[in-house]
Amino acid sequence: MRTKQEYLIRYKDGDLYCELADIWIDPSKPVKKALITHAHFDHFTFGCEEYISTKETAILLKERVGDNIKIKTFEYGEEFKINGINISFHPSGHILGSSQIRFIFAEEKWLISGDFKLQKDETCKQYEIVKTDYLISECTFGLPIFKWDESNKIANDISKWITNSPEKTSLLFCYSLGKAQRLINEISQTNFKGNIYSHSSIYKMNNSYKKLGIDITDTIKIENKKKIDELKGSLILLPPSLSKGSYLKNFKNIQTAFASGWMSIRALRKRSGYDKGFPISDHADWDGILEVVKKSEAKNVFFHHGDSEALTKFLVEKESINVLFFGK
Amino acid sequence: MSLKNFSELFVDLDSSNSTNNKIEVLKNYFLSNDPIDNSWAIYLLTGKSNRRFISGRYLKNLFSQIYEYPEWLIDTCYLKVGDSAEVITLLLKNKTNSIKKKLSNISLNELLSKTIPDLSKLNDKEKNFKIKNMWETLPEDNHLIFNKILTGTFRVGVSIGLITKSISKLINIDEEIISHRLMGNFEPSIESYKFLVNKNINLQELNSKPFPFLLANNIEDKIFKDSINDFQFEWKYDGIRLQLIKRLGNVSLWTRGQELVNESFPELVKKMSHIKDDFVLDGELLVWNFNKQIAYDFSLLQKRINRKSPTRSIQIKYPIIFIAYDLLEINGRDIREIKLENRRIELEKYFSKWQIKTENNISDIFKICDLIFPKDWPEALTYKEKSRENNTEGLIIKKKTSIYSSGRKKGIWWKYKVDPLQLDAVLIYAKGGSGRRAGLYTDYSFALWKDQELIKFASAYSGLTNIEINELDKWIRKNTIEKFGPVRSLKPEMVFEISFEKIQISKRHKSGIAVRFPRITKWRKDKKIDDADSLENAYKLMKKIS
Repeated sequence: MRTKQEYLIRYKDGDLYCELADIWIDPSKPVKKALITHAHFDHFTFGCEEYISTKETAILLKERVGDNIKIKTFEYGEEFKINGINISFHPSGHILGSSQIRFIFAEEKWLISGDFKLQKDETCKQYEIVKTDYLISECTFGLPIFKWDESNKIANDISKWITNSPEKTSLLFCYSLGKAQRLINEISQTNFKGNIYSHSSIYKMNNSYKKLGIDITDTIKIENKKKIDELKGSLILLPPSLSKGSYLKNFKNIQTAFASGWMSIRALRKRSGYDKGFPISDHADWDGILEVVKKSEAKNVFFHHGDSEALTKFLVEKESINVLFFGK
Repeated sequence: MSLKNFSELFVDLDSSNSTNNKIEVLKNYFLSNDPIDNSWAIYLLTGKSNRRFISGRYLKNLFSQIYEYPEWLIDTCYLKVGDSAEVITLLLKNKTNSIKKKLSNISLNELLSKTIPDLSKLNDKEKNFKIKNMWETLPEDNHLIFNKILTGTFRVGVSIGLITKSISKLINIDEEIISHRLMGNFEPSIESYKFLVNKNINLQELNSKPFPFLLANNIEDKIFKDSINDFQFEWKYDGIRLQLIKRLGNVSLWTRGQELVNESFPELVKKMSHIKDDFVLDGELLVWNFNKQIAYDFSLLQKRINRKSPTRSIQIKYPIIFIAYDLLEINGRDIREIKLENRRIELEKYFSKWQIKTENNISDIFKICDLIFPKDWPEALTYKEKSRENNTEGLIIKKKTSIYSSGRKKGIWWKYKVDPLQLDAVLIYAKGGSGRRAGLYTDYSFALWKDQELIKFASAYSGLTNIEINELDKWIRKNTIEKFGPVRSLKPEMVFEISFEKIQISKRHKSGIAVRFPRITKWRKDKKIDDADSLENAYKLMKKIS
């Protein structure tokens, strides 16, 4: 058995780091070279000398933070070499451009899952099964109480929620990038035929998706001065950051909901302060994580981003898979 | 009618914060379901079904056994979810999806009157088989209801008041009548539901109706020009305003919110029914310190309000008293048109008669309010200032010649509250304490509204009990928005009454005001953040005292 220092990829100062290539994965502070799995802000930090990502991630990032960053891009599956290590991006199904990253060095394969999901999502590429020796997997929803419904079922629930209160304006809170676009397309395929409005931050991302060739149903950009009557019976998508505070006073007679995997738990739903919660996630559920562990054929697994205790114990007991700890 | 409808009702009620919405949802449910299912729904929603058929632990073990699931894993899940019935419901999603059996369309009535009660007649093996079968044949949406009823943990945010309102709307009959019909033991049956929605009102129901309450106005300066002898002075108690009605031998206790609260205060109902006369009294219900002959804090009364059928020990621990200040009807004669000073004479007359003539001693639970007799207005002011000492809020000043009209009519009753240097503020930051309070968040910052923004106006450390500190600490950890070093910014949700000694302009603070010796005087759990004071109110307060 090797010591922690001898792993190809390990934790350093709380971030994933490959010493041989002197490269970081989604670092939380400025470094020389950073691989970026996807364009969500909790996976990105300003000030790195060089970023490497998929083409889509690079474009989305530049839309969000400006052109002032240096990003090198590669296609999915395209291998590149750094200090003798072969590195490649593979679709992770989380959002548009999101990727798993594979490292191959001296015939040893390492795979960083990035944020991923297996569920169907027509706004991004489907998760690709990649075989590996070592798997570093996220486990945001690493408990068996998390079992996602098909997204069209959730979309139908949302549609019902809106149409059952035609006199109200329905505010649906969701992440601007990824979740919003997925929801817009799903909801537009339901019985709900009213107007869908997007907050400017979401509207911007919709356009970016369109530019990247993803067909997103047209929505109307929400203006502050919209007439109240006009919004009655409509759906408005907003980022969660606006749920608290004065922004909501722009609307009259509203009902609110939050779209997130956490909403499958009643206590969290109640505590969230929204009227309603729709459990839909861009992360894998328990079964999804187990499936990836199995299909990747990894003999050694690391977990991060979540509570890994239950998963670890379960895999060791039931599947006899070696689950390792980085230590922070 | 299937259980599915009730499951949908549960989801709708559970996911709505609007009272009107809930009433509408309930009304529609009652309209579209059988009387028998409706009666069960009312039974469940009013929390009458808290019998535990099997324990949460049993449910978890059973699940673990049937589906070969490690118990430790269920326990880990429980930590996240906090409810056995819900954990099993969520885990079942993983299991029953793959099992394709013909789905059952059981009715709420059948489930509650037969299937579940029958479980207790079975041995463990049969019982387990039955539950497994229910899990695998009930549609997924019904699992939560089923598991919750099994474990006696069915609860949803619906009050009797809400049920009352929706039935009242459904059949267009006054809420007071419906309240009365819902009193006592509501047993689910077709008859009990039909009785509830009967459009014909009987005499006894009419007899329990309270009069509209007369309310006091805030004092106005012009009153000081009038002669002090024109007024009757009483202490202003901080309790529950009640009309205590005894007609045709039946006692009913009505709050100002049109709620019948007989079940919360059975000892009062019992004692008052010993009195021979019929009457309607207006007064205040309090938890009473019989040694000092003053009221306990309102917080103790809260321990009684929401508790139906309080045990003997609760009744002893929180002894109540009804202090009557007005007599509105006596032996069927409505005397509201008589002048207050004469009503007071009647009240005193009857009270002394009842004290002597009633078999059981009534004075340990019922008295009439003492009057105060200030010589002049300055002395009235002195009384008012002293009101804190006897745990009252100030004075009520009533015009002696007034009749008992309804609503907040000016010039009849005035409230003269002790000047409160107090504001209700929203907790927005907390900081870790030190020493004895290490590890707890005990330093708090409070904010007031300015337009739609909360502006910090004071920090306070003292005033909460240790129990409250612990409770608040737990809440703080769960409701942190952001951490900055030792300070946490919090979800604006909790309102506190902050008292202070002085209030003045300050350029150093964003709020523009500074207060001296701020302290927490009450955790206002009854208030929402929208009820908190605004900076404008703070400025008004400052103007008023300077």
